[in-house]
Amino acid sequence: MASTQLTDEELFLELKRFGFTPGPVTENTRPVYLKKLKKLREEQQQRGLRPGKTRTIGAINSTTGGGSTVASRPVSHDVTHLNTSRRPGRKSSLLGFSSDESDAETPLKRKGLGHSGRANRSSSSQQQPKIRPASTPSVAIKSRYDHSATPSSNFSLGQNGERRVSLGWGVGDRSRSDAGLRRYDDSGDEDNYEEDMEKKSRSLNGRGASRLNASKLAGDYSDSDEEEVSGLGVGDPECDRLEPRRNHPSVALSSDVTDRGSATDGQNTEATPRRFLNMGGSQGEDEEEDDLKRRDFSRLGDSRSHTLPRKPIYGSLTENHKGYTGKNSPATGEDGASRSNSTELRPRFSTYSGLSQTYRRNHSNHTPAPNHSCGHAALKRNVSAPEDELLQQFKREELASSGSFSAHYLSMFLLTAACLFFVLLGLMYLRMRGSGALEVDNVINSPPPEFDTPNKDVIQKLLLSLHDHLAFVAGQHDCGDPNHPNRSVSIDEASVYLLAQNKSFKGLINESLDWIIQKGQDVGIRLMGAVPDEPVTKVSEIARLESTHPKMSFTCRFRRAFFTIINRVLLIAVVAGCVWSVVCYVKYRWRRDETETRQMYDMVERIIDVMKTHGEACQENQDLQPYLPIPHVRDSLVQPQDRSKMKKIWERAVSFLSANESRIRTETQRIGGADFLVWRWIQPSLNCDKGSSKVWQGKAFPLDRRNSPPNSLTPCLKIRNMFDPVMEVGENWDLAIREAILEKCSDNDGIVHIAVDKTSREGCVYVKCLSAEYSGKAFKALHGSWFDGKLVTVKYLRLDRYHQRFPQAQGCSTPLKASGLATSVTNTTAHLQHHSSASSPGFS
Amino acid sequence: MSSTSQKHKDFVAEPMGEKPVMALAGIGEVLGKRLEDKGFDKAYVVLGQFLVLKKDEELFRDWLKDTCGANVKQQGDCYGCLKEWCDAFL
Repeated sequence: MASTQLTDEELFLELKRFGFTPGPVTENTRPVYLKKLKKLREEQQQRGLRPGKTRTIGAINSTTGGGSTVASRPVSHDVTHLNTSRRPGRKSSLLGFSSDESDAETPLKRKGLGHSGRANRSSSSQQQPKIRPASTPSVAIKSRYDHSATPSSNFSLGQNGERRVSLGWGVGDRSRSDAGLRRYDDSGDEDNYEEDMEKKSRSLNGRGASRLNASKLAGDYSDSDEEEVSGLGVGDPECDRLEPRRNHPSVALSSDVTDRGSATDGQNTEATPRRFLNMGGSQGEDEEEDDLKRRDFSRLGDSRSHTLPRKPIYGSLTENHKGYTGKNSPATGEDGASRSNSTELRPRFSTYSGLSQTYRRNHSNHTPAPNHSCGHAALKRNVSAPEDELLQQFKREELASSGSFSAHYLSMFLLTAACLFFVLLGLMYLRMRGSGALEVDNVINSPPPEFDTPNKDVIQKLLLSLHDHLAFVAGQHDCGDPNHPNRSVSIDEASVYLLAQNKSFKGLINESLDWIIQKGQDVGIRLMGAVPDEPVTKVSEIARLESTHPKMSFTCRFRRAFFTIINRVLLIAVVAGCVWSVVCYVKYRWRRDETETRQMYDMVERIIDVMKTHGEACQENQDLQPYLPIPHVRDSLVQPQDRSKMKKIWERAVSFLSANESRIRTETQRIGGADFLVWRWIQPSLNCDKGSSKVWQGKAFPLDRRNSPPNSLTPCLKIRNMFDPVMEVGENWDLAIREAILEKCSDNDGIVHIAVDKTSREGCVYVKCLSAEYSGKAFKALHGSWFDGKLVTVKYLRLDRYHQRFPQAQGCSTPLKASGLATSVTNTTAHLQHHSSASSPGFS
Repeated sequence: MSSTSQKHKDFVAEPMGEKPVMALAGIGEVLGKRLEDKGFDKAYVVLGQFLVLKKDEELFRDWLKDTCGANVKQQGDCYGCLKEWCDAFL
């Protein structure tokens, strides 16, 4: 599966491409994120199939707008819950982003104009489910923004934009962009387009407004030609609106974003509506372009939004711009190229990618406008490439077919060839069967030598013709020909026929028939007497003749064979179907039973839990009744809508409890004047519990200078009074002691050796630590504590004595940890303790 | 009972400290044992996982289901418990 191929980082980036900011991918979270990624992809595909792209784009715009910028918040209401959940993160990223925060206001306002126009459109498309992907890209972008926060705001903008693009595709660098760009090529679904649009709109808004516009436009473009036009139209006003900002590279960017298509243009001051068209054209085709494109756009948008708010930074930008002029010029060149590209290829997202690439490069140089257009395309291409790869990876694994077309076709071809071969074989066989007459001819061709020679040939001919005739008749009969109602031919008819064939046959009929009888072999003619089934021994008894090798026409034979086969296959299929259905049914029943049992146990557990809680609560608060009515327990555990469904399970749980649970007693009580079946939690007294299990029970005295050495002296401790060897029962109580010590010193990871002296009357346990410091910590934790009702004391031991006593401890150097197994019992009691202690504050 | 259980209230009432994982609402003995076997022996470890998943409900629920086989109600209880705890103390 793709999952196995993905490293954590790839998974992370893949998720980001969907605009979903995942947390760290660790071994614990990996499966969850894989599932999430699959779900996102499925949804993306579904969305790709949806119509009404415009709407979607609008929605995306609105969502992105809302999500991306503070100003565009109002639009965020159409963000899906995913967005919502991520909103806080996004917000922060956004805020972090609009480092150019101060600028964010002004450009926002401006963008607001265009944006509001867009918002309307977006709102219409709000219902689009694509909102989600749309938002995700914006989220991704936002995160990228944060990620790429760099010292110089301008720079960061550019970098952010660039990063955003790359991040959007999960690529922080150019190579990624390649993949992303390729991806554009691959996925032509609208979803991506819309995501792009979204991104673009995002960038457009305040920051993302441009993105919104872009995405919206892009979406428009992608939808259809006329929509492209309309999109273009939309873009144009945007362009115009952005005109005043054009002088600013950012403006150019924003205009670019607006148009999406004209992203390139936007960047260039000379961006014209035509540019938009170009871009739009390319965008339009970007149906297949997916997130990459969107991202690109969003990227563009982002960069644009960045630039837009950057008005004040314009000065610095220009400086940067100038600074990068050198780089820019090539970029410009690219720009021109890309622009022309875009002009030419409407749907060419290659252009786009080229643009994005250039954009990227430019961005790295942080050259705004001119580079953007080129960069966008280039970036897009770059981005789509790695993204494409990843997507391919996924798709290949998911579909298991997209990858190797040739292999797929080859296998299909082989399969059909095999089938054809077998069919031919069957036909040939049929033909062979039909020509069984050959054998007969052979048999007939060797008539017994007792016939004299001149007659031999005649007899042969006679027999052959007779045989053929009979075969023909039989065949016709078998094929259902109404002309021959009888399969057999009476001897008279046969004689007539033979005479009609050849006059010379006349006298030889009887002889030949006699020969047939004598022959004993099957010559293809069966002689039947008046009574069928009786063997004929004399010619005179022969009443009818029948062929044993009916000659049927080929089609007739084929038809019969075909039907036979069909019948047999059907029979087998029916039998198999019956067996399989039986098996399925059995499995289903078994599974259902298991589920029910599990549910029943679950219910029992919950009941016990409730009863325990209640029991403890009763202990705390003597006002409560120590029992709970059964219906009340049921109603508190089972949701009202589930009650009828869980009825059976509940009943089973109740019976299980009454049979198998000793701590809950069923009795009848009168509550409020009505009789109820109640459960009473028979709480084994906690004292007994505590007494029977080994738990730490608090400190007897505070450790100060009087009763403990000022500093730890040695790394070895002798702990006294932990147990009484006489009283201990069970096999592994020493393990329990060990675990108890380790638990008590759970924060101290320097204990390397513990030895429980089972025979000592004082209940001694010897502990060795890594160093004196650790032993000092253990000392403080253990000395003077109550354990199992006994006061524990600790003293230091000399290291050499310790090694004398426990030579195996010399080699120990790995800290011991409480394994938790032996403490399960203590945990339960500890849990009870916690519970009761916790419930006290609850009750108070 | 109210919509939140006693366990939930107890858990959310104070910093979790070293509470075992079974102190979480929705996590009983069986689930707690399973979580402990996977290494989530204390409630704060599960809290850590919750935070690593960015407090996202869906993800946390999925994770819980995968890790210890919690049913929907248990997932919801646990999630609500942790969420409220975070709101109060984080």
